[in-house]
Amino acid sequence: MSKLAEVVDLVERGKSKLVGAAVQGALDEGTPATEILNGMIDAMAVVGERFKNNEIFVPEMLVAARAMKKGVEVLKPHLASGSTATNGKVIIGTVAGDLHDIGKNLVSMMIESAGFEVTDLGVDVAPEKFVEAVKADPEVKIVCLSALLTTTMPAMKTTVEALSAQDFRGSIKIMVGGAPITQAFADEIGADAYTADAASAAQKAKELAA
Amino acid sequence: MIIIGEKINGSIPAVADAIARRDGEFIKNRARMQAEANATFIDCCASVPEVEEVETLHWMIDCIQEVTDLPISVDSPSAAVLTEAYRFCNKPGLFNSVSGEGSKLDTIFPIMAQAENKDWQVIALLSDDTGIPKCAADRLRVFDKIMKKAEEYGIAPSRIHIDPLVEMLCTSEDGIATNIEVIQTVRERYPEIHITAAVSNISFNLPVRKLINQGFLVLAMNAGLDSGILDPTNRDMLGLIYATEALLGMDDYCMEYIGAYRDGLIGPVK
Repeated sequence: MSKLAEVVDLVERGKSKLVGAAVQGALDEGTPATEILNGMIDAMAVVGERFKNNEIFVPEMLVAARAMKKGVEVLKPHLASGSTATNGKVIIGTVAGDLHDIGKNLVSMMIESAGFEVTDLGVDVAPEKFVEAVKADPEVKIVCLSALLTTTMPAMKTTVEALSAQDFRGSIKIMVGGAPITQAFADEIGADAYTADAASAAQKAKELAA
Repeated sequence: MIIIGEKINGSIPAVADAIARRDGEFIKNRARMQAEANATFIDCCASVPEVEEVETLHWMIDCIQEVTDLPISVDSPSAAVLTEAYRFCNKPGLFNSVSGEGSKLDTIFPIMAQAENKDWQVIALLSDDTGIPKCAADRLRVFDKIMKKAEEYGIAPSRIHIDPLVEMLCTSEDGIATNIEVIQTVRERYPEIHITAAVSNISFNLPVRKLINQGFLVLAMNAGLDSGILDPTNRDMLGLIYATEALLGMDDYCMEYIGAYRDGLIGPVK
């Protein structure tokens, strides 16, 4: 097995203790850093797919993402741009009045593993905060909104409206998700995409950023 | 959890029969089954008259070592037998057992102190010449005596499995309170030590023994038990061990639990 193949395998199996050394090994073999990064991104896509198909459990996805993080740490200084965000920047947060973050964190992790730089605004994020965050960084391509409660769905609507009132609306995509959210609701409030789980969210983000 | 597989013991009639007939395949099969079920040690107890015991253990240990590389828990009530039988093992295992009784400690600890035996471990029962002490305080006095000896011989706590002695629940006056108090105190004093128990002793003379065994296991693990003499091929028991470790926060991301499921060790037979 080549060192690169080993990196891919270790990420898929979530072996975070071993992955750093394997990345170093691949670099020593002369594999370009971007190729290693893409290998890991692809590995996470495989993991995401398995999760979507109910072949693996949430923790197995988490440890894979954690393993990728370890690999990226070793890789970072070797990437020309010093950045691993090959696909662009993403802002994510749970909408105002909602304190739930497990799903949001999972999505954040998977999107990061798909080659994005993610800024996590946390929970109970007011619409203005999302607006400010996008204004502060013109490179932002996607804004992800999470809501777990039916009672905070209106806040998601308000947030989409606030973002849509801005000049930058045409240059960003808005993704929404959370237990009570549906495609119909996403359409109704004017979001660009809805996904049902973290793996689909990462995949959708890649499509939207392409 | 350290699992000491209990299925090769001459006190089990079918095993006694196999030993009497020198049915090696029977012994090997039980060794193999327990190895596949993720046992840490394979216990080996002859339960024959002491004059035949060393020779019988020799035969049994050879059988086990033919099919698995797992270390062996050499099980005899006689310290003299243990000092002979441990030599048949290909790799360091577990002396099962010593106690505060007679000269057991002074027989086994010097062997463990030898450089070439530095990886051997030992089960130490909290009984002494007076028998099994009734209350926790008295068992802990035996514990102190054992640990003092261990220190004298330079045996690290991490090589010792303390057995607080599980007695049948049906005649106990306080449930398992004594056991729990002993386990908690031992764990508190020596974070590195192992604490083991012959789990199924708890349910003697009660119906549906597995319910009692399982309840005991969870409560004892919560108190600090990290080793057990049990049947690893009992999937309910093994599953419960993995589940309890996860619940106690000892299993990062539940990966051990999931791994055991993936390996087909726990859950419904596929």
